[in-house]
Amino acid sequence: MKVITRRNFLKTSGVAAAGLALSQLGFDMSPIQAYAAELRTELRIKGAKETPTVCCYCSVGCGILVSTDSKGKVINAEGDPDHPISEGCLCPKGGSSYQIAVNENRLSKVRYRAPNSDKWKEVSWEWALNRIAANIKKSRDKSFTEKNADGKVVNRTNGIASVGSAAMDNEECWLYQKFLRSLGLVYIEHQARI
Amino acid sequence: MADKSFFIDTTKCTACRGCQIACKQWNMNPGTKTVQRGSHQNPEDLSYFTYKLVRFSELEVDGKPRWYFFPDQCRHCVQPPCKMMAESIGVKAITRDEATGAVLYDPKVKVKADEFKQIRESCPWDIPRWDQKTQGMAKCTMCFDRIKEGLLPACVKTCPTGTMNFGDRDKMLEMAQQRLKDVKAMYPKAQLLNYDFHRAIFLVVDEPARYHKFASADTTIIAALGKFINPVQNISQLAG
Repeated sequence: MKVITRRNFLKTSGVAAAGLALSQLGFDMSPIQAYAAELRTELRIKGAKETPTVCCYCSVGCGILVSTDSKGKVINAEGDPDHPISEGCLCPKGGSSYQIAVNENRLSKVRYRAPNSDKWKEVSWEWALNRIAANIKKSRDKSFTEKNADGKVVNRTNGIASVGSAAMDNEECWLYQKFLRSLGLVYIEHQARI
Repeated sequence: MADKSFFIDTTKCTACRGCQIACKQWNMNPGTKTVQRGSHQNPEDLSYFTYKLVRFSELEVDGKPRWYFFPDQCRHCVQPPCKMMAESIGVKAITRDEATGAVLYDPKVKVKADEFKQIRESCPWDIPRWDQKTQGMAKCTMCFDRIKEGLLPACVKTCPTGTMNFGDRDKMLEMAQQRLKDVKAMYPKAQLLNYDFHRAIFLVVDEPARYHKFASADTTIIAALGKFINPVQNISQLAG
């Protein structure tokens, strides 16, 4: 099934509208390009739902306002003027955060490469999550240490390490840390330090 | 709505390029393919898809390395030479919004290559850009759709350092003059560029040409351009 993205939709409807207007005027209908520039006079986020969030990149934690249309599609993301830290400002990385959500290069399906395989195959979310959970359980059961050599209770697993993630916001980091600690992980690292 | 202006204080610019990205993002312009040219400036130049560009100029001045940052954009002239030129050659792509002073290009209006060449050459700051594929012209719109609703232009809204400012023209001029006074003590060469002629008032602290070839224009040329183009325009109106 061909998934209709917002960009594709705009592209198609833009081409259709321009074509109609041109053909009515009797002009040559030459193909227009994907990103047909236009002089917009109406605010394109008028009436959009605004959701405040925190930038997922560095530790400054700037505020971002994400605009979504009536179907829940992200149509814009820019600095949140009411945010006490950033007061509406964003650096180029935060400023491009719209592209995290709307990006044709973003993978939209789970892909799996089996051990020793040189090919990726598409799998379902359910299959992938179950497999990850099973692997975590297997490694944890195998390596769980209740007491260390001195007989002190440690309840840790040395069989699993976590590396990541640079693209999580504050709340996600908190949840992730909770989750890892509850499993008994001690090797918790961030890839920025590697 | 009073007429508007930018105040662009290059002394505060760290060349983070937040403005450049915010501009692309808001105007939904695609990235352009670039190559490594040995400069942090990227892309190389303004284009039909790039309205705002932080220019990097790396020079040796008095035996010391100097790095100049210049967040280039359309100046939105009080009397835009591009508009005068376009009208004189019968191109109806350029308008000027009376309320804000924004100079607006309609990319849907087809402009021929030689017509565009004349329009681009008429701009003392080398801003107009053209796309061969669509035959349209595009440049900074002052975020006309945003400022109409009382929002700041995207580049100004995002600027983390206070380089980019936007507001009523008299307030911006006042701000610029005050800042000029403040930085003069440390930088005797500090100056505001062509602020009588346009609505993007740049504050620089060294010779403008060190920032960018077209940072500042010779004001006698601008005045002459107006005189040169106007009579032509009158003739074409009579003829048309």
